[in-house]
Amino acid sequence: MDFEFTSEQRLLQDSLRRYVDKAYSFEARTALLKAGKDGSADNWGLFAANGWLMAALPEEYGGLGGTLVDTVIIAQELGRGLVLEPFMACAVLAAQTLLATGSEAQKARLVPQLADGTYRIALAYGEAGSRGMPLPVTLQAEPVHDGFRLSGRKSLVLGAVGAKAFIVSAQIPQAPGISLLLVDADRPGLTCQTLPLHDGTWAQALHFDGVEVGADALLGEAGQGLSGLRQGLANGIVALCAELVGGMEKTIEVTADYLKVRQQFGVPIGSFQALQHRMADMAAELELARSSLHAALDAMANDDAVTRDRTVSASKMLICRAAKSVCGQGIQLHGGIGMTEEYLVGHYYKRAVVADLLLGSSDSHEAACAAALQAQLRA
Amino acid sequence: MDFQPDASLEAFREQVRGFLRDQVPADLKGQQRCTRSPREQITRWQKLLTERGWGAPYWPKEHGGTGWSVPQILVFDDECSAAGTPTLDGFVHKMLGPVLNSFATPEQKAEHLPPVFNGERLWCQGFSEPGAGSDLASLRTRAERDGDHYVVNGQKIWTSYAHDADWIFLLVRTNMDVKKQAGISFLLVDMRTPGITVRPIRSIDDAHHLNETFFDNVRVPVANLIGGEGQGWNITKFLLNNEHATVADLPELKRYMRELRLIGSTLQVDDQPLFEQPGFALKLARLDAELQAIEMLVQRVARLEQQHNPASHTLGSILKIRATELQQRMTEAQIEALADYGAIAYPHPHEADPQQPFPQQALARGISHDMFLRRASTIYGGTSEVQRGIIAKMLFQL
Repeated sequence: MDFEFTSEQRLLQDSLRRYVDKAYSFEARTALLKAGKDGSADNWGLFAANGWLMAALPEEYGGLGGTLVDTVIIAQELGRGLVLEPFMACAVLAAQTLLATGSEAQKARLVPQLADGTYRIALAYGEAGSRGMPLPVTLQAEPVHDGFRLSGRKSLVLGAVGAKAFIVSAQIPQAPGISLLLVDADRPGLTCQTLPLHDGTWAQALHFDGVEVGADALLGEAGQGLSGLRQGLANGIVALCAELVGGMEKTIEVTADYLKVRQQFGVPIGSFQALQHRMADMAAELELARSSLHAALDAMANDDAVTRDRTVSASKMLICRAAKSVCGQGIQLHGGIGMTEEYLVGHYYKRAVVADLLLGSSDSHEAACAAALQAQLRA
Repeated sequence: MDFQPDASLEAFREQVRGFLRDQVPADLKGQQRCTRSPREQITRWQKLLTERGWGAPYWPKEHGGTGWSVPQILVFDDECSAAGTPTLDGFVHKMLGPVLNSFATPEQKAEHLPPVFNGERLWCQGFSEPGAGSDLASLRTRAERDGDHYVVNGQKIWTSYAHDADWIFLLVRTNMDVKKQAGISFLLVDMRTPGITVRPIRSIDDAHHLNETFFDNVRVPVANLIGGEGQGWNITKFLLNNEHATVADLPELKRYMRELRLIGSTLQVDDQPLFEQPGFALKLARLDAELQAIEMLVQRVARLEQQHNPASHTLGSILKIRATELQQRMTEAQIEALADYGAIAYPHPHEADPQQPFPQQALARGISHDMFLRRASTIYGGTSEVQRGIIAKMLFQL
């Protein structure tokens, strides 16, 4: 275990930091928000050209063969800039689910296109009744002559805008368990409703009304998709947590600067002990969250799937709650200006609020941890 | 950054486990370790470690220590805690020892280092005074020069284990005419010297570790001065900066989690184990998540400390705040989980067994003592409020 960045990791972080600071200023981001898109296609191409999309993809499929640590470095820096492009949703969540479940042929065909940014897929797993968790799944994939017919709904598909295909979790009646199918976004019978989220990103609600796909749409074995889905989700959660750690860092930096320039009662407000102690608590919250992220990375590298999922759930709830708390305090310490749309600190809070609800809320993951601990105590 | 298991550290863990399993007698294991162990046990444990060549587990090799890295020290403490060995005399191993190694004369080392290794000289710490807590530099206990002696007058407070100590290391004022920090000196005093009175202070954990210690014309040889006159404040800063990763008391936090799970499996609610109650299980999940994060934070601080990176100081302050708060929350969770049994004042584990056993004594005894004692964790070693001030200043220049 080593917490120090290698020189390569440092270079990766520097390149992201430079990009976010220069090209993704708050003003540039605001312009993108006003354009009403989930980031820009140009930016996605740039991410690909810089190797960020392929960083953690295997070399045999056109990736750089890096690890989840590389993903975390990238996501954390993107989180500092509140970058809108769906890096977590498409380059991590969907890509890692595909890697965990696809056949060699499917991966050989699709992953290189994910790596070079020419093809984007999104993961459509959540339903109204699953609240961001992988289960239960009610969407049906009924076997028909040479494929499947899909009927049902997916509630909040991240990175769906601009995705050319979806990985869809479904029940196949003859194969108990969860199956994953790759469905092109333009299939007849599939309608996508685009929904704005509080943080300026977009998601889609999908309605499958007898959507037909071929037998080759099935990823892996019928009924055997859950473990791969969980693995993809675990990767996505870690990336989302890393984004939030970056967001907390930036919020704390911006707030510390503000406390030195804002004057009341004739002195900088940072001279007040109440505010100094609040800043110390925010820093403590951030560092505990960072360590929780490290615990998740440790579990991803070393533990069995059950322990991995429990640890990742623990990190999701701890880090999301930390981010809401720290970013909320960022607003508080700014006073009125923190409430304005024109100022950046409120946007970090919005992202934290949304992130808490994505991929299973803190409450859901807390319940998952509790259930895992109960199972362990019963054994 | 990587999260590959450290094979050499795991091999070291096996070595420590082997020693604890094969060479430590059963009556030196399974002890309650929250407070300092009784003298006889400390001495036996110390001699056993010295025989093994581990007599000073926290010191560098050149001072007769093991030369273990900070991560190794954490493993050693963790395994000793899991086995329930007695404690060492932490005052000499973690506070005075490094001071002696760095500042003492050869004569002073010859006098005080050998007894560390035979465990026959126990120490206590004389820093705080009734008027000098967080503002330690305002201390008023005076040492006036009289020939080859200092004459010490004044009062120390919160002197843990002074009633069972052979020597005390003491901060005294030797100069009234300079800035308050510059007038402080560091003295070693034999507790048998005439004029020393120790009065017990019973604490809310229903035990006696704390004392007031009075000095009435106590004559201390000048040879017992460490460093020069007026060096006391610098030595104190050195002493207080000596450990960061271990302030979390991680082995104790892990013990609290084990105990909490045991309570959850032992007590029954509606013919089911307590852990089946959603409220208990959710609380356990929250505490477990935080414990995992604290464990990683300890590892991070340990590695910074190992590299002598000053970032370990600020991160150590953060760790101290959060780990000590977690100590309090976990022991409170234990009491809450015990419900009716949580309200009972069981006899202190260091006291004799009651004639008629209390209900659930094996499970519940000692838990409330830990919980009440843990209120001190956010006060000693720099209060949480002092730590917050340090963090705001060091991280944000506020």
